Amino acid sequence: MNLNRRTKMIVFVGVIFAVLAAVYLAGLFISDDFIAADFSQKGLKPSWEHPFGTDMLGRDMLARTMKGLSVSIIVGTVASTVSAVIALIVGVAAASGVSWLDHFVNWMIDLVMGIPHTVLLILISFACGKGLKGVLIGVAITHWTGLARIIRSEVLQIRSQQYIEVSRKLGHSSRWITVHHILPHMVPQFLIGLILMFPHAIMHESSLTFLGFGLPPEQPAIGIILSESMQYLSAGMWWLAFFPGLMLVIIVLLFDRLGENLKKIMDPYSAHE
Amino acid sequence: MKNRRKAALVLLCAAALTITGCSGSSDSGTSLAQKEEAGKSAGSEAASEVTIGFTSEGDSFDPCTGFGYTGSPLYSNLVKVNGENQLENDLAVSYTVSEDGLVWTFKIRDDVKFTNGEPLKASDVAFTFHTTKEKATYMDLTMLESCTAVDDTTVEFKLSKPCVTFIYTIAQLGIVPESVYSDQFGLEADQVVGSGPYKLVQWDKGQQFILEANEEYYGEQPQIERAIVLIQEEEDVRLVAAQAGEVDIALTSATLAATEIEGMHVEEAESVDNRGITLPTVPDTGKVTEDGYKIGNNITCDVNVRKALSYGIDREKIITEALNGYAAPAYSECDGMPWWNEACVIETDIDYAVALLEESGWIDTDGDGIREKNGEELAFHLMYFAGDSMRQAVAMSVANQAKENMGFAITVEGVSADDTVKRMFSEPMIMGWGSDSPMTSYMLYHSSNAGKTDFYNPEFYTSEKTDAYLDAAMNSISIEDSYEWWQKAQWDGETGTSMKGEAPWAFYVNMTHLYFVKDGLDIGKQRIHAHGQAWPLIANLAEWTWEA
Repeated sequence: MNLNRRTKMIVFVGVIFAVLAAVYLAGLFISDDFIAADFSQKGLKPSWEHPFGTDMLGRDMLARTMKGLSVSIIVGTVASTVSAVIALIVGVAAASGVSWLDHFVNWMIDLVMGIPHTVLLILISFACGKGLKGVLIGVAITHWTGLARIIRSEVLQIRSQQYIEVSRKLGHSSRWITVHHILPHMVPQFLIGLILMFPHAIMHESSLTFLGFGLPPEQPAIGIILSESMQYLSAGMWWLAFFPGLMLVIIVLLFDRLGENLKKIMDPYSAHE
Repeated sequence: MKNRRKAALVLLCAAALTITGCSGSSDSGTSLAQKEEAGKSAGSEAASEVTIGFTSEGDSFDPCTGFGYTGSPLYSNLVKVNGENQLENDLAVSYTVSEDGLVWTFKIRDDVKFTNGEPLKASDVAFTFHTTKEKATYMDLTMLESCTAVDDTTVEFKLSKPCVTFIYTIAQLGIVPESVYSDQFGLEADQVVGSGPYKLVQWDKGQQFILEANEEYYGEQPQIERAIVLIQEEEDVRLVAAQAGEVDIALTSATLAATEIEGMHVEEAESVDNRGITLPTVPDTGKVTEDGYKIGNNITCDVNVRKALSYGIDREKIITEALNGYAAPAYSECDGMPWWNEACVIETDIDYAVALLEESGWIDTDGDGIREKNGEELAFHLMYFAGDSMRQAVAMSVANQAKENMGFAITVEGVSADDTVKRMFSEPMIMGWGSDSPMTSYMLYHSSNAGKTDFYNPEFYTSEKTDAYLDAAMNSISIEDSYEWWQKAQWDGETGTSMKGEAPWAFYVNMTHLYFVKDGLDIGKQRIHAHGQAWPLIANLAEWTWEA
């Protein structure tokens, strides 16, 4: 039964992963011709030909949404990977036993967490020159704090284990212990933290772009699509906001499920539930 | 997990929230107005009152810092532009200009009172111009050397150089009273003292302001005695207010104007608020501006390419497909103005455009639908201000047509204002100019103004012939005499700034300003609007009437 459930979980994770990969690839391979303006098709309601309708420039909203999600997934991947790596380095460093470093890292975490997230994002993204680069940097260097805290406490806990003490008495250096005993223990935390950071990163990319501090208007991004649709809502064109918004929510939830399920499989504490 | 989900939903629902949020705020605005109305005598004549759905009222009602340069019902000017787009005397009774064009003498009326009861004298006029020159915010008064009140009804302007368009500068400046003017002037309702047909009786900043007819006004008493102007910055809010019947007239846009509202119709006001493309006229020789921005474009420096873009694009098509039909074709920066040369009008002629391109050696040799010459494709990036969806639509329509009609590959790109300045000297961009003074033509085409960061002449257009015409126009004694020279600068039969001539701009459309108007409300004869949709509308409030 246990194994059965575990297998089911793995299949589930595989399916989610496949869906996300499919969305990403679909967006990647849709030719730009599909989102070229075609004024003969402007403002159409959802139909079989255009399942998500078209916007006021006659661009197919399904194609735009897929491309937008693709961009979101790239931003999410890069930003959360960078963030997770920062978190790992910082977390391990903080727990290395050097007290001033620990204090400094904790102070940094408090500082970053103390500033309202969106404000910090806007500031960083603006200072780094907006556009894709600005968004990536902004999202990447503001999301590591939570995971860094978890990793720090985890490392501290492991360091106090007896076998670490034994290893040290056997003459292994601190570096050797970190690499051979501590880092392997961090893999589940790291991976799960990474994937659960995804939805955050994507949402923040979208909201930054929505507010006009993110990606440029030609970039097919969900934030752009949503902010554009605002001006047409009262003209009755609900589909411009509804489908892209719904898709974004679905993608975010899928990532979330993926993370939660992976956690159940990999995390030693919940793997046997 | 829950939080994340919530966050996701929040983004999805942002739209819905905004709408409810906004209509909420409009409610508070209107209920104030309604209370106001209820407070008034219950039997008041509705036919003498109008409620307007307006955009932001601005920070100040002080003409010396630029308020009301497109006309306002609160102040009177020496001269004004009427519904026929002609200048007529307002405070002035008559004026003369000296032979050398440097001394302008105005006789003004002696029966004008400010709304605080004090008489308006020549000294107030002099004071207004001095103050405005000192503040140097919006009005360009650098050519004004002095302004003196000779007696109570005579005022004399001395200019440092002849400037025939000075009369339009005068028409833009409302006169303020010297006796009560302070730094606080125009910032509160009781600090707004003018002599126009209306006075400001109440101003709740960001919510509404109320105008009432000025009984002391020297002209005819307006039929609309009271105007409640609601500040509704979001166009959705104005639409909802119009649908609910809360306003009698509301500003709207090409996006929403197609919405049917019972009991209301859409009125269009012509404008010189044009949209076209600036086309750099000089080749890229590696030169840069003082600030280090690249100058010149090797494709658009060819006049044939510029003319092809002017002739090969169907303006009507842009209007129907990109602007829902709410615009007019544009052929110059001053269509319909008295100084406009009608010869600027061109017909769409794709064959001619193609012939021009081929003459310059642009041929599609590899059959991909795009022309090339010496291995270089006929292509450029067309910039527009990111976020302006109308400009984006115009740009997209132009790009589509250019590709279809002429094998011209245009990539549309939204660019922030800062980045635009860095690139506009070497790349085409969608621009708009709208002004009711021929001074704009001078700024756009005179070589002394080429390549400045003020957006007038980023295409580095210079021509001795044009300079000569523009100088001749500026040196004219009367504005009527100058018309001929402005027109010659546009097209003199051989060359000019128009699209028939050197075509530094490809002009495409003049935006029309759109309003939902309650049936039965006559908003008079609107002069051709300059830039801006709000204040030009109510400049002639005194001419509005309700049909009985």
